[in-house]
Amino acid sequence: MTEARRIRLTVNGRPREVEVEPRTLLSDVLRHHLGLTGTHVGCEQGSCGSCTILFDGAPARSCLVLAPQAEGAHIETVEGLAGPEAEAIRRAMHEAHALQCGFCTAGIVVSLVSALRDGIGQDEAAEQVLGGHLCRCTGYVNIRKAITAAWKQGANP
Amino acid sequence: MSPYLGIPVPRLNDDKFLRGTCRYVDDIELPGMLSAAIVRSPVAHGLLRGLDRSAAREVDLVLGPEEVRERTGSVPVAWHLPMQRQLERPLIDERVRFVGEPIGVVVARSPYLAEDGVDAIVPDIEELPSVADIHSALAPDAPLLYPRWGTNVVIELETGDEADTTDVVFADADHVLRCTMRTGRLAGAPMECRGIVAVPDPGTGRITIYTSTQAPHMVKDQVSQILKIPHHSIRVVAPDVGGGFGVKDHIYEDELLVCLAALDVGRPVKWVEDRRESLTVTAQARDEEWDVEVAFDRSGRLRGIRVHGRRNSGAYLSIFGGGPLATTGSTLPGPYRWEAVRLTGQVIVTNTTPTGAYRGFGQPQAVYIRERAVEMVARELLMDPVELRALNMIRPEELPFTTRTHLNYDSGDYPAALRRAADIIRSAPEPPEDGRIRGVGFSSYVESSGVGPTAGSRIVGVQVASYETAIVSMANDGSVRVRVGTCSHGQGHETTFAQLAAEQIGTTPDRISLVHPDTETAPYSPYGTAASRSVALAGGAIVRAAGRLADKLRAIAGELLEASADDIVLQDGEAIVAGTERRVPIAAVAAAGLRGWPVPSGISPGLEESYVHDPDNLTFSYATHACQVAVDPETGLVEIERFVVVHDCGVIVNPMIVEGQIHGGVAQGIGGALMEEVIHSEDGQPLTGTFMDYLIPTTGTIPDFHIEHIETPAPHIPGGMKGMGEGGTIGAPAAVANAIAAALPEVADRLTRTPVTPDLLWHLLQD
Repeated sequence: MTEARRIRLTVNGRPREVEVEPRTLLSDVLRHHLGLTGTHVGCEQGSCGSCTILFDGAPARSCLVLAPQAEGAHIETVEGLAGPEAEAIRRAMHEAHALQCGFCTAGIVVSLVSALRDGIGQDEAAEQVLGGHLCRCTGYVNIRKAITAAWKQGANP
Repeated sequence: MSPYLGIPVPRLNDDKFLRGTCRYVDDIELPGMLSAAIVRSPVAHGLLRGLDRSAAREVDLVLGPEEVRERTGSVPVAWHLPMQRQLERPLIDERVRFVGEPIGVVVARSPYLAEDGVDAIVPDIEELPSVADIHSALAPDAPLLYPRWGTNVVIELETGDEADTTDVVFADADHVLRCTMRTGRLAGAPMECRGIVAVPDPGTGRITIYTSTQAPHMVKDQVSQILKIPHHSIRVVAPDVGGGFGVKDHIYEDELLVCLAALDVGRPVKWVEDRRESLTVTAQARDEEWDVEVAFDRSGRLRGIRVHGRRNSGAYLSIFGGGPLATTGSTLPGPYRWEAVRLTGQVIVTNTTPTGAYRGFGQPQAVYIRERAVEMVARELLMDPVELRALNMIRPEELPFTTRTHLNYDSGDYPAALRRAADIIRSAPEPPEDGRIRGVGFSSYVESSGVGPTAGSRIVGVQVASYETAIVSMANDGSVRVRVGTCSHGQGHETTFAQLAAEQIGTTPDRISLVHPDTETAPYSPYGTAASRSVALAGGAIVRAAGRLADKLRAIAGELLEASADDIVLQDGEAIVAGTERRVPIAAVAAAGLRGWPVPSGISPGLEESYVHDPDNLTFSYATHACQVAVDPETGLVEIERFVVVHDCGVIVNPMIVEGQIHGGVAQGIGGALMEEVIHSEDGQPLTGTFMDYLIPTTGTIPDFHIEHIETPAPHIPGGMKGMGEGGTIGAPAAVANAIAAALPEVADRLTRTPVTPDLLWHLLQD
């Protein structure tokens, strides 16, 4: 065990401080030190996208970030996502039955909210953004439907 | 028309997943909780001497083979076939038989420190020669995993018609098609890995177990039997479960070791599997080779099907043993009339990860073998594969129909699904000229679902209770709780089961809640959610139990409204005297029933009704899948361009959820057909331990689907529902493979294995 180090970061708008070993993953900091268990860890290999959070405004896989790398960062997790884009994505996913077991859902919500906020086009969202996530239940069909609905609504708020 | 059934009620429990307030097992934090990590065998085969733990510091506990053996009974196999050499085995044996086999457990203050502890432990294993595949294991001089057997064959199976009657049919047929087929080894790969929090109560000796499972009662049964703890001291709770697909239908050695460790340290202990463990240690599936023979006449009449299967069971029989092979045998006839159907098979132990249940459970193999062979026959006869199928398909007026394998098909119109699927896929617009080659393939099947009646389980040797019970109760405010033993982990039972109860009680689904899976409150159901059984078994039980509650509510409402119970209608949360304006809110009826007055004489106070559902038969869903592929001959890459499913799962409670199950099922079938394969090296080392090696479909692989429903009620199930959780996975691989074969007739006869990776296809095209 190496010596714990103090890390300061802002999570969902709130300044937080944790004392962790430098090898601690950001996903573990969020989940087990700050109690934000909405971020899920599906592989710890950077493949599945379940642990996606916003790191200084951009989507990132929190299982590939070591705690010291998050010093001073602004982190947004699924629990903190608010605003019209977040609600549009949530509503569209609910109405399209775009989730089943729900484990990968939080990461997908984070990525899609970010894409909608950043003005990424619908096709790119359905192919590239969703293409960065693994879902084993839905076959993606209804997630693409939800993207269509959310983007349509986004264009005509 | 019903206000609650057959409509796409949005799921009642989505919000927590969309906001991150759901709770999976790894989300549980308890005061004083410690973390566990599992010590695993680094070699595929060897004699286990013990663990050198001298270098493991900063750990609270290490349990090795000796301590575990002293305190545990044997791990049972729950499916007994006639010629089966293994019915149980020790939790940690004297030898290890696959890489990753658990041989100890470490407990420490954090998962990081527990994993450090595992890294510091040196297993003392005398390595032995190993076998990693079926053929090596069957070689005359093969190393034996269980020397006292004198063979690596653990089960020899024979089902269907006798050899001599089958021979007569084959001798009489005009032609016999022969080929060998292979289905690659798959991993269920739910997005949430397995996990457990074991919470001992040193004061009482009780233990509470939170675990990611499809079957909390199965976990309880196993913990009691293997760890020798009385049933009444065990509580098992399934929190939110992030997918199961069959691999979470029982408790594994890992979780049992964590329970032992928690009892020792007297504090809660958590263990969560990582993805590498999930892809290398959690039960895998398929991995079979089949010699296939089909006898047929020049006219296109299918006469007989005779197959010999070799199934790789891995290091030992997992909980359902040789069940998948037996199920391949029973479902081999599919929707066709045959004069003879015969399956022989061997289940073979090798030094690889044990194989067990995964979505479809032997049925995808039956469909792959039969439907590939049927299209080969069509090609040989220069017949349209749809017409060949139609010629041999059981017609609706022939139902009920008993197959050569003793299944009693219930209801439906198999040719209608075939015709409709063919019409849809063949009306597709002409594809663009882009240098790729198109092909269309089909797959028709009858799915053995709604497992299962007790009588059936007894005949086939399943030792697990397979009826279902529902308890439906109403509170003072008219809200309703439904308790069943099955366990929703993505299938949307919270919604569909509420719809079923709502239909009976005449109140809206949002007033009905499904109680969370917990052995303290749920009726006994060791089979749990598996085998496409929940809606037929537990759903049917809910229809009856809620019906009984509705009868009681009508009787009490009659008393309140001074009318006959027969004249009371329950509707929109009210009890109404039919044809009048006299009505009373359900809540008022509930209050009377729970208070105990006024209720009619002969009616007992209280509003809780239950029903034990043990139907006469399985349910038989069916479908035809049709697939169009585009193959790039330069690279061997296959794109699924169109996928059609015309299916019948009986009465549909919620079409949106049914279609969601089909989407996910077909996607898993496509994965198995094109890209997914678990690979072990010759010396048994797993080579596919990440999602970069074991490829599951991403959005780019899966097209939008064209789904159409046929709705023929199951005659013997209250509500008429048939199971449908596995159909997509059962039908899709054969349809995809047939489409590729149709696109590339020059290699069609050699396209006999899954997955059809670009590499495999490219090599076939070069030869």
